[in-house]
Amino acid sequence: MGRRLQFNIFRHNPLDPASTPHMQPFIMEELPNMTLFIALNKLREEQDPGLQFEFCCRAAICGACAMVINGKPGLACRTKTVDLPEEINLLPLPFFKLVGDLTVDTGTWFRDMAKRVRSWVHTDKDFDPKAQEERMDNALADEIYELDRCVECGCCVAACGTALMRPDFLGAVALNRVARFMIDPRDQRTDCDYFSVIGSDEGIFGCMGLLGCEDVCPKQIPLQDQLGMIRRKLALAAAKNFLPRFMRS
Amino acid sequence: MSNQSSCSCTAQPQGFRAAYLDWAQMLSGAALVIFMWCHLLLVSSVLLGQGVMNAIAHFFEATYMAQVGGPILFLIFVFHFILAARKMPFRSREHEAYFEHAKRFKHLDTWLWVVQVVSAVIILVLGSAHVYTVLSNLPITAVRSAARVQNGSWLFLYLVLLPLTELHVGIGFYRIGVKWGFIKRSTRKGFHAKENLLTIGMIAIGVMTLVRFLTITVQ
Repeated sequence: MGRRLQFNIFRHNPLDPASTPHMQPFIMEELPNMTLFIALNKLREEQDPGLQFEFCCRAAICGACAMVINGKPGLACRTKTVDLPEEINLLPLPFFKLVGDLTVDTGTWFRDMAKRVRSWVHTDKDFDPKAQEERMDNALADEIYELDRCVECGCCVAACGTALMRPDFLGAVALNRVARFMIDPRDQRTDCDYFSVIGSDEGIFGCMGLLGCEDVCPKQIPLQDQLGMIRRKLALAAAKNFLPRFMRS
Repeated sequence: MSNQSSCSCTAQPQGFRAAYLDWAQMLSGAALVIFMWCHLLLVSSVLLGQGVMNAIAHFFEATYMAQVGGPILFLIFVFHFILAARKMPFRSREHEAYFEHAKRFKHLDTWLWVVQVVSAVIILVLGSAHVYTVLSNLPITAVRSAARVQNGSWLFLYLVLLPLTELHVGIGFYRIGVKWGFIKRSTRKGFHAKENLLTIGMIAIGVMTLVRFLTITVQ
């Protein structure tokens, strides 16, 4: 017989004027290999059909089921109950707009973020649909893919003390996105162009190095290393202005 | 299609100010880290003998490094506080957001930042008092320092100032490494452990120095 788990789940419907935010306890027996995704579905099926939470792929690919699990942002589908104590507190991700219970709207913020950091390959080359695709070195393709694995779950932003204090801060996801274009040879932007996008206190210079992002990213994207690289690169780009004009390249 | 990548370095919409301020914060912090470690080691020379400390102090005064360097370092100290204070949660909304998060998250690096903020404010006040009394009572000698430490209220000040400064300096050193990418994911854990040892070692040397000052006979 499995453990008796107590889930304390945040409940609130912002559209209902009568609803007040509160924690609701649910009791459930633990099953073998149970993930939070399985547990929440079982809760909704058996105990409360009105419970709101989001999921799609149940394999840590869509990033929809991110929530705060015992204080730590993570993906419900990737979290096994066996790794948690008997009492499990579930909160919606902070920072994002609450839709209801454990569901937040990450999409609006992510769309806006992508526009702010101009998240697309900038090139003046005309696309020729008939030409053969340009070859890319395998090692470089791997390097780009490593940063492209982000599923936009929002855990890094929800774990960032800076972002929670200052909602205009771009967060690790946006800075990692820029890092991905920085190493992409198809993108013709210079350090200086990137500087105009993230060279501010809302961008890389607002990062206080708290490393919440690094420690919660469910995809283990090397955020710490990327943030350090961007800061050095852009700070050096700015420092070049102190050089005599003929030495700036 | 127009070339969206064109950008002139001389016409930045926001300028390079954020980068310059970040440079200044890091460089002033690094300078203070180096200074604080040297300072502690030089003062702890009293453990080798009063004569050693007096000779070192005399060297810094004869070369005017104390008289000129002292005030300059104090300016860097205040400058660093102002730069770093840009990040502090002064507004109630920021304050609440950070502390709610830190309590919920139980994450070491998130709490270490709280230690840095709180220690910064205390160091600003106590450190200013320390710098003022030392620089307005030159020359520095082992006996004078001992007399100050043996005066009850100053001992209390140093017992607070010493560990807080070493903590702030140690955490600051780690954070510079993390923020500027000198400490990588692969080296973070090891660096953290070594830096903890260094901080404990520095506090231990400081406490031994204070104990030595307490035992020096003052006429």
